[in-house]
Amino acid sequence: MILLQSPSRFLLQILQDRVLSGDKGVDIDCHTVEFDDVRYHIQFSMRNPKVMVLSVALPLPPPEAMLYDGLPLGAIEAIKAAYGPVVQILDPPKDGFDLTMKINLTKLPPDEEQRNAVLTQIASVREVVLGAPLKLLLKHLASKTVAPNVDKLVALVHRPNESFFVAPQADKVTVVYPMRFQDSIDIVLATSFLQEFVEARRTSALNNAPSCLWSPVPPLELKGVPSDALNANAGFVTFVVFPRHVEGKKLDKTVWSLLTFHAYVSYHVKCSEGFMHTRMRRRVETLIQALDRAKSDAEKLKKLVNGGSFKRLSLNNDGN
Amino acid sequence: MDAASRPAVVIDNGTGYTKMGFAGNVEPCFITPTVVAVNDTFAGQTRANTTKGNWMAQHSAGVMADLDFFIGEDALARSRSSNTYNLSYPIHNGQVENWDTMERFWQQCIFNYLRCDPEDHYFLLTESPLTPPETREYTGEIMFETFNVPGLYIACQPVLALAAGYTTTKCEMTGVVVDVGDGATHIVPVADGYVIGSSIRSIPITGKDVTQFIQQLLKERGEHIPPEESFDVARRVKEMYCYTCSDIVKEFNKHDREPNKYIKHWSGIKPKTGAKYTCDIGYERFLGPEIFFHPEIYNNDFTTPLHVVIDKCIQSSPIDTRRALYKNIVLSGGSTMFKDFHRRLQRDLKKIVDARVLASNARLGGDAKAQPIEVNVVSHPIQRYAVWFGGSVLASTAEFYEACHTKAEYEEYGASICRTNPVFKGMY
Ligand SMILES: Nc1ncnc2c1ncn2[C@@H]1O[C@H](COP(=O)(O)OP(=O)(O)O)[C@@H](O)[C@H]1O
Ligand SMILES: [Mg+2]
Repeated sequence: MILLQSPSRFLLQILQDRVLSGDKGVDIDCHTVEFDDVRYHIQFSMRNPKVMVLSVALPLPPPEAMLYDGLPLGAIEAIKAAYGPVVQILDPPKDGFDLTMKINLTKLPPDEEQRNAVLTQIASVREVVLGAPLKLLLKHLASKTVAPNVDKLVALVHRPNESFFVAPQADKVTVVYPMRFQDSIDIVLATSFLQEFVEARRTSALNNAPSCLWSPVPPLELKGVPSDALNANAGFVTFVVFPRHVEGKKLDKTVWSLLTFHAYVSYHVKCSEGFMHTRMRRRVETLIQALDRAKSDAEKLKKLVNGGSFKRLSLNNDGN
Repeated sequence: MDAASRPAVVIDNGTGYTKMGFAGNVEPCFITPTVVAVNDTFAGQTRANTTKGNWMAQHSAGVMADLDFFIGEDALARSRSSNTYNLSYPIHNGQVENWDTMERFWQQCIFNYLRCDPEDHYFLLTESPLTPPETREYTGEIMFETFNVPGLYIACQPVLALAAGYTTTKCEMTGVVVDVGDGATHIVPVADGYVIGSSIRSIPITGKDVTQFIQQLLKERGEHIPPEESFDVARRVKEMYCYTCSDIVKEFNKHDREPNKYIKHWSGIKPKTGAKYTCDIGYERFLGPEIFFHPEIYNNDFTTPLHVVIDKCIQSSPIDTRRALYKNIVLSGGSTMFKDFHRRLQRDLKKIVDARVLASNARLGGDAKAQPIEVNVVSHPIQRYAVWFGGSVLASTAEFYEACHTKAEYEEYGASICRTNPVFKGMY
């Protein structure tokens, strides 16, 4: 429950409903927003009940982030590779969105398991598009090379007007996150959470995880980055990813975890706040019980005698 | 981007089902049972054997158990497959009873279902018309302190149900809302967007009772349904096959004359053995919903039919609103979805009203004639989640953002600001 899943639950539900509903269909036109301002617009029309038009808007990129024609580098190729003939990209995208795709459900594979796999992929469009450049870099790491024509330090957008930084090398990739939070309590909780997080990484059970560091000031890797991009209020987190972390099937998972690291921390902070409130409520309850028990018997009796109910009772009795 | 430029999150927490989604949409994104599966293995133990040494281990085990929970369909599935989890229903009869599980439920709704950052969106939550102001303070506390929402509005369910008529006709904010959900049935008169509190009626017959009644009928007739599934089967039978008849006796005859046409079949798989089973669905198709009109067939303690309660409710409202109330009786909630429910209700209610007009005319003699009273029971296709839809419509107006309590106000004045939520202009 603690990790965010890559496929959007809502997209998956709509797609599966539509695949199962046979040929009848109703008009659907709805908007949803996910964390970090990723917006979806989903349309089905009665005339074409098996075709979904899906538009996606990405977080607003900061000036330093690397983009390519409005989409992150390599996104178009990633879409084509992931969805094949099921998806057709519409150019230009709908007004206010960065990507519009036509998804033809009649072209899904007939086998149920394969079909569900493709639907899950479509629901993971966020990972496919936003994660495309990161995946490209990490793929090269898996084969121990560096992608051609790539700078020494790449800024990738992950939140509106915020980017994280990737320094690709042939034998390791360093990823740095400036951590920012709005609420003052969140800042405190996040800072201590991150320090614990780094501490936990040191335990022997996690020896194989990417090494990770937290520092209150920008690490050396970020030299030369404009200072606007570096005003973090909860410090900087650095991960060093090695080829073994991106072998085979691990690649997708690593891409998603890195892409949503900030959301993961922020989710944790909220959960801890909720958890603390639960504990505080329980504590108050037990204290009140203790107070009640501490009252002397005389006090309790006094209350009963003075209580309205007693009086009324006696009045009524008088009346009779 | 400013939170007010993103769509607001609308969550209608019902006793049985929670409807959640984004303002501006026609349908909620998710409709999920309001239930949490919690891991109770450590709850009782912490105090029992606290020898010094393992106190820390005990404590962290307790902490882990606190973080180990599921909501909605996942919760139901978990509790079926393992003994570690206990189901907790945080809302009873429209009132939040368990704030711990309620908070966890919201947490999952926001992060795992809607997948949004609560700091980015204004929130519209709903409450039953009988909710005390203290509850609103608690809700505000959780929303502002735990989730850091930028703005919050807590709306009254029946008022939203009225507002749901907004797009179909000219919005009429005077009317009686008949809200029949899973665990609570309320009849609430509203005048110009304000609930007439003293005239609210509640009756102890709800969607769950219909399900139980059907379950009982099936059992008494000896249909072979595995007991652990029978409630769920009864519920699905209800949602798929039940309808409202116009006359019970005639309906019995119809079924007896043409059983092929009226008797439906249900087939399922026994969860334990995997064997197939089938059962017949007969009279319960119309007897289920009939308990609203003839409660005595189900319950000996409560025997007032729904239409009589509605009539009493309107009769107890201020005299100058009564005509308008009769004219706009709005249905809301899943258990009003039975076919022809509104026709039956309208007919039975009209009978009472007409009889009263006749009687008063007779009493007054020929000279003063009362004008006939228009009785209108309104039904619309989105009735099942009318409350949510009304919330979605209201939360997409500009006035909504002004009517919300903001985080700044909360920090300035404290949770007491959540006690009142002004009726705002978008409601007209
Ligand atoms: N099509 C239907 N016909 C009859 N009953 C239905 C239908 N759909 C849902 N219900 C019933 O409506 C109830 C849920 O209604 P809802 O308004 O969501 O309740 P609440 O707001 O109290 O949670 C459940 O008892 C469900 O079985
Ligand atoms: Mg309800």
